[in-house]
Amino acid sequence: MIATSRGFAKRWARLAESDQYSLSSGSRVAVIGGGPAGSMFSYFLLNFAEITNLDLQVDIYEPRFFTHCGPAGCNHCGGIVSESLLQRLATEGIELPSHVVQRGMESYTLHMDVGTVRLNAPGLEKRIAAVYRGNGPRESEPLHQISFDGYLNELAVEKGARIVRRMATAMERTGDCIEISCADGHHRAYDLAVVATGINSHFVESVCGSTARIRQPKKTTTFISEFRLGRSMIEETLGNSMHVFLLDIPRLEFAALIPKGDYATLCMLGDDIDDELIQSFFRSAEFKQCFPDAIVPPHACHCLPRINVQTARYPFDDRIVMIGDSGTTRLFKDGLGAAYRTAKAAARTAVFHGVSSRDFENHFWPLCRTIDADNRIGKFVFSVSGLIQKARFSRRAVLRMTASEQAGDSPRKRMSEILWDIFSGSAPYREILGRAFHPAYVGGLIWNLAASNWPSARRRDSETAGQGV
Amino acid sequence: MKLWDRRPQTSRSETDPAPDAPDFSICPEQLQKAPPCQLHCPNSGDIRGWLGIIAQREKTGLSLEEAYDRAWRRLVEFNPMPATIGRICPHPCETACTRSDKDEPISINAMERFLGDWGLQRGLRFTPLDGPGRDESVGVIGSGPAGISFAYQMARRKYPVTLYERSTSPGGMLRNEIPSYRLPVDVLEREIEKIVDLGVDLQLGMDVGPGLSLEVLRQRHRLLFLGMGAQHARGLGIPGEEGAGVWSGIEFLRLKKEGRQVSLGSRVAVIGGGNTAIDSARSARREGAEVRLLYRRSRDEMPAADQEIEDAITEGVSFEFLVAPLQIIRDDQQVRAVEVQQMALGDPDATGRRKPVAMTGDTRRVDVDAVIVAVSQDPEFDAIPGLPLDHGWLKAGDDGRLGAGLWAGGDDRGLGIASLAISQGRHAAEAADAELRGSGATPGSEDAATARDQVKTDFYQPRLAVHPPRRPEEAWLSDPDAEITGTLTSEEAQYEADRCLSCGLCIGCEQCWMYCNAGGFVRLSQAETGTYYALLTDICEGCGKCIEVCPTGFLSPRPSEN
Repeated sequence: MIATSRGFAKRWARLAESDQYSLSSGSRVAVIGGGPAGSMFSYFLLNFAEITNLDLQVDIYEPRFFTHCGPAGCNHCGGIVSESLLQRLATEGIELPSHVVQRGMESYTLHMDVGTVRLNAPGLEKRIAAVYRGNGPRESEPLHQISFDGYLNELAVEKGARIVRRMATAMERTGDCIEISCADGHHRAYDLAVVATGINSHFVESVCGSTARIRQPKKTTTFISEFRLGRSMIEETLGNSMHVFLLDIPRLEFAALIPKGDYATLCMLGDDIDDELIQSFFRSAEFKQCFPDAIVPPHACHCLPRINVQTARYPFDDRIVMIGDSGTTRLFKDGLGAAYRTAKAAARTAVFHGVSSRDFENHFWPLCRTIDADNRIGKFVFSVSGLIQKARFSRRAVLRMTASEQAGDSPRKRMSEILWDIFSGSAPYREILGRAFHPAYVGGLIWNLAASNWPSARRRDSETAGQGV
Repeated sequence: MKLWDRRPQTSRSETDPAPDAPDFSICPEQLQKAPPCQLHCPNSGDIRGWLGIIAQREKTGLSLEEAYDRAWRRLVEFNPMPATIGRICPHPCETACTRSDKDEPISINAMERFLGDWGLQRGLRFTPLDGPGRDESVGVIGSGPAGISFAYQMARRKYPVTLYERSTSPGGMLRNEIPSYRLPVDVLEREIEKIVDLGVDLQLGMDVGPGLSLEVLRQRHRLLFLGMGAQHARGLGIPGEEGAGVWSGIEFLRLKKEGRQVSLGSRVAVIGGGNTAIDSARSARREGAEVRLLYRRSRDEMPAADQEIEDAITEGVSFEFLVAPLQIIRDDQQVRAVEVQQMALGDPDATGRRKPVAMTGDTRRVDVDAVIVAVSQDPEFDAIPGLPLDHGWLKAGDDGRLGAGLWAGGDDRGLGIASLAISQGRHAAEAADAELRGSGATPGSEDAATARDQVKTDFYQPRLAVHPPRRPEEAWLSDPDAEITGTLTSEEAQYEADRCLSCGLCIGCEQCWMYCNAGGFVRLSQAETGTYYALLTDICEGCGKCIEVCPTGFLSPRPSEN
């Protein structure tokens, strides 16, 4: 009893103290990083501030220009935006212009050693769009601004944010402020610092060094490269389809080849992608057959970006909040959607509740935990799909079930929808798992397992393999 | 072939068959490149180096004073007279500055002057280079910029140096011809004093000729350097040129510098388009005369510095272009007028400037009381026979070698700006020193040039240049000898140094370190100007991002091994 009340008193004292932290007119907000999370945060913050008649000054620290081609102006990701995110953005007043969308995807093409099958988008709301994060691959010829990140950046500036073209290198609590210092010696104090640096810069490390509470997210290495094929070749070989590879290569979760304009973007996700893994993938017949004469062309640029595979512990503190990849994201998928959700939640908290640790804990952290919990389910989903990938007989079953669904045999395309959602990130993993336990799906899978591995079926399948497309 | 170099423990390249994808990795190397300012400085001074010491002082842990002192030391390795050159140089370095692509070039000349004045004000002394003292005696003839530079470079290499000057005060054309409003005599004297303090034996009133022959000097010294300048003014070769009322530009300027009265009358014609002509015209204005400058080509072809021309116009010098003098009309020995021929511009000549062509029959009279002819100068070797000459100029090699134990530099090899003379003195000293030590040629700067597009000017904050203060124009003529341009303040100098883009050398912007996923850049615990990171090439993932973000162009693609 005593212990509880003492604990309560302590907590109350902390609350009373931290209650002082809120934004008022004239407050200064630093956003470190001008990627989607940083830009959307600034956009929402200034939007909410407008509603509540709050006059805030928002500085976005971003030394890079998204108008540059190649890695310098790029934010390293496959650049897939789901239709659900596009629609959500549209309701926020953010309409993605057509020149930013490199290609609207209408289908997935699933490549497995046992065959290839195409999944059409299950209804309009599940289409996806491919975008460039920077202004196209190295040595591409940009005719106009095509960068998704650059576009959001401009939106934030139109709302009243200021881009500071300096590289923030350190963050320090000084008195009642957070001081941001830059490599060139410039420094300035802020009432709120929003870390939106992603995890491909070393800034997060310096944040974690400055407060004991925040632990940086766990990360793994991925691989992204761009192949120049030319528009007509893309049309011929890849079409409006995202090509997904489910191959039995150790440590590879999956790989995807996404057509965009003159180029195709390859993304490989898995457990610390390295040279060896990339080489085995490049040698696979399934990948080679996507290119003319089954020869993988040289790539225009490549990088090995890190992705967040486990949410940062307490990605907030008094006057500090971490959004986008530097805080939490969805496992392997829909990082842009997670950036949107965390950015909006953090902006809402800052304007309507406050900027103390407690405010973020009450109004921002629950979202991170929801995402985190879903990621745990996602890990399970991926481990199950990994098991399926490992065995040839189960791969056959998946192929058969999908192919027959796509051929229009069954009214509910259960396997197709599950696969679609796994690869597009259109639905939470929780929902996918729920559907995977649906008796009708389980039954269908068992039936297909049997049918596809029946000796006569195997013979027939091997004759028709590859003709599913 | 691999996609990128990996840590050895994960490499299986020996057992792997060749992959289908060609190697497209772009790995960086830290490669210092020569900046455009240095390439366009006749003396190839390490401008980026001394600006960087000031700009990066906080990163290298220097106080402002230490930074200025060090920057001065770096500067005087190439130029022993920064306060002087910082006042008079037409600064081709600034024209080349990459920053002009963004806003305005760095005020390099004003920075040089600031540091020169800093050195004078602080009483900074030259220090000899490390190494044992030398016995070989060195004689230098002429104490102009070339001779001073040679004497200085040899003295700091610990040679015993004697500097012979035929006039009673040292400095050559810097002293005799540059007007006080551009270069106060005491600035020059204090800079020369520093060189004397280094141990140079300055002997004034020593004219090489019949009284003191070259042979005697050659016996006295192991080697000799000739920096005698080009002190013979060229004439126009037209009637009426001889006699009172006509001066050469250098003669007139020297008389003025000596404080002698020159009676010009009320109207003066200055003939020529170079810096001597402008100096003469502006000096004549200071005598109260109405001055017309007659030039046979147009303004675009004038070799004089633009700022000087502007200032001459401000002071009321009127310019007449495309006129060539035909004769000086005298009446009873008194100069009355110059008869001029109207010219037109024809095809470009060997110097690339359009050649003036006479418009036959179109002549007129320009009424004047005096004429100053500043068309060009030649060297004089009548008193020193036996020197290797080419069309009247000393015929030296690129390093200044005239013959065994004989070196030369400055205007006696061909007319040029003071900075070039200093450069020639320095190069000759380096070559002579190498020869005496038997160490072969000293390695010059072999750095590749920084390509203009390697510098990402976007990265830098836009900031206009600061220019040195100038006295109000209306006071220029009323206080004729007072210097017009002032020195930057310390705050202005810091600001200006910060503007330097540091083309081709690291500034510690941290971008490569920040964005390298592999962690290939390691901060050095002992940072120095231009050196902040070690590069671990074996863990490079070859994405090339660091090269693309490096604002200075210091990181460039490492050439592949095959």
